[in-house]
Amino acid sequence: MRCLTDGEIQAVVDDEATIESRDHVETCQQCRERVSERRPHMTTLFAVVHAEAVPSAIEARLRHAMTSSSDVRGSTVLRASTRSQWRRVGWVSALATAAAIAVFVGVILPRLGAPMTLSASEILGRSLQTLSAGSGVELLEYEVAVDGMSHSPVVIRQLIDRDNPNRYRIASYGPDGVIRTAISQDPLAQRRSQLIHVDGVNYIVRVGAINNPVLSLPQMAQALVETSIGIMQAKSDQQLTIEDGPSGRRYIIEVPPVTRQNPAATLDIFSARAVINGQDFHIQEFEATGALLKQPFSVSVKLRSQTQATNISTGFEIEPGPGDVVLDGEPGDDPVMELLTTILRAVGPAK
Amino acid sequence: MNSLKTTEVVGPVSIDPQAEVLRLFSEHGTALFRFCRSTLGNATDAEDVTQETFLKLLRHLQAGGDRRNLKSWLFTVAANGCRDRARVRLRWLPWRAELDHRTVEPVDDTPDLHRARQALRALAPRDRLLLSLRASGLSYKEMAAAAGIREQSIGRLLARAVDRWKRRLV
Repeated sequence: MRCLTDGEIQAVVDDEATIESRDHVETCQQCRERVSERRPHMTTLFAVVHAEAVPSAIEARLRHAMTSSSDVRGSTVLRASTRSQWRRVGWVSALATAAAIAVFVGVILPRLGAPMTLSASEILGRSLQTLSAGSGVELLEYEVAVDGMSHSPVVIRQLIDRDNPNRYRIASYGPDGVIRTAISQDPLAQRRSQLIHVDGVNYIVRVGAINNPVLSLPQMAQALVETSIGIMQAKSDQQLTIEDGPSGRRYIIEVPPVTRQNPAATLDIFSARAVINGQDFHIQEFEATGALLKQPFSVSVKLRSQTQATNISTGFEIEPGPGDVVLDGEPGDDPVMELLTTILRAVGPAK
Repeated sequence: MNSLKTTEVVGPVSIDPQAEVLRLFSEHGTALFRFCRSTLGNATDAEDVTQETFLKLLRHLQAGGDRRNLKSWLFTVAANGCRDRARVRLRWLPWRAELDHRTVEPVDDTPDLHRARQALRALAPRDRLLLSLRASGLSYKEMAAAAGIREQSIGRLLARAVDRWKRRLV
């Protein structure tokens, strides 16, 4: 069995793991150490929460609330009423209030790092612009976890020509760093390649003389993220947290979970969280749960690196390594059929 | 790190709701307050949300509501209450625990515990919520119900929250 993901290790620590995960930890030194490393952290967190002092009067307040008026709604009515001192000083207080607000807005808020000019929605809007902006060739590396996906989380390395979105190469790597799948397409060289890793062997299907490039996968993924961000932007209950760390400012925007769902929507977001770089508004992390075509999903994407590529002469090819099986196929309209027909043609004579 | 017992109350509906609320308060009140305190970082708000939660429980029982797994019910209502409370604060200013000087630290905090608490308070709301739920002894299933997240995602999200908390400890 493969080594466990962080989530599975956490489940072992929390006594929530499957039998397979627990058995694996028994036999794998590395995973056992990861469990041992994580355990004291949970003990500390338990200690933090359990050290919170509980007010002795809380039960008395509850008893009073239950036995007093039947119209009681919430606890705020139960506090000892402290009449505001502001009323006594009449109109003078209005000037004082205005001055206090002016000082608060003009002096205190900026020092606290509050968003003086940007709302959560505006930050999301700027991030949306960065998704489609840019030129030249970019190399992006993401960590992606999708519920139900085997070998999750995976690392995705994506090379894309911003000036020609149909020119790209995407490869996915398992937790062990081994390539799992890849697809590349280069309309300029009229080539398309696909790779599948099966039983320790890479099978590469190469097709030349492609006429019409198929829809760009990065563009499809980008459209999905853009739609998700757009839905986040439209929600009224976004929560914005600003973090000022050593690497600069980050905006964390969360859409709290909702139970109300829109069965008619093609894509519906139930909860989402985006971490956005405060300098360039690039999305660093994105997590969402929702339903796509009525199928529930949960996805988490974390940007590891984003660099401008300089040497692109062979970058869009999938280069075979030693031991890789390379099959040359015929071009078609559908890459899946291209892959299947090429493999079947290779298998046919072998039978 | 076992979960707290699940409170299964499937007895006759004729039980006095007020007595039942007080019994459940003695069983879960402290844990619920600590959860709210840890999630909100503010004792006054935590006290309000705890009390509101038990008053809602009273109305729930008086209306003949479902009595199965009331512990999970309590934490779900409290988690929603915490979110609403945090949202009200955000209308004025994005509340940040590290800037909130009104919070009073427990007097017997060790330096390590103090650092751990500061790191927890500096986390994003969802991370704080998940870690507080787990530290309150809820199972993944109960956490999923309270946080409105799929049960299968809890381990992964919790692991990430712990990692982010660890990074803030350094």
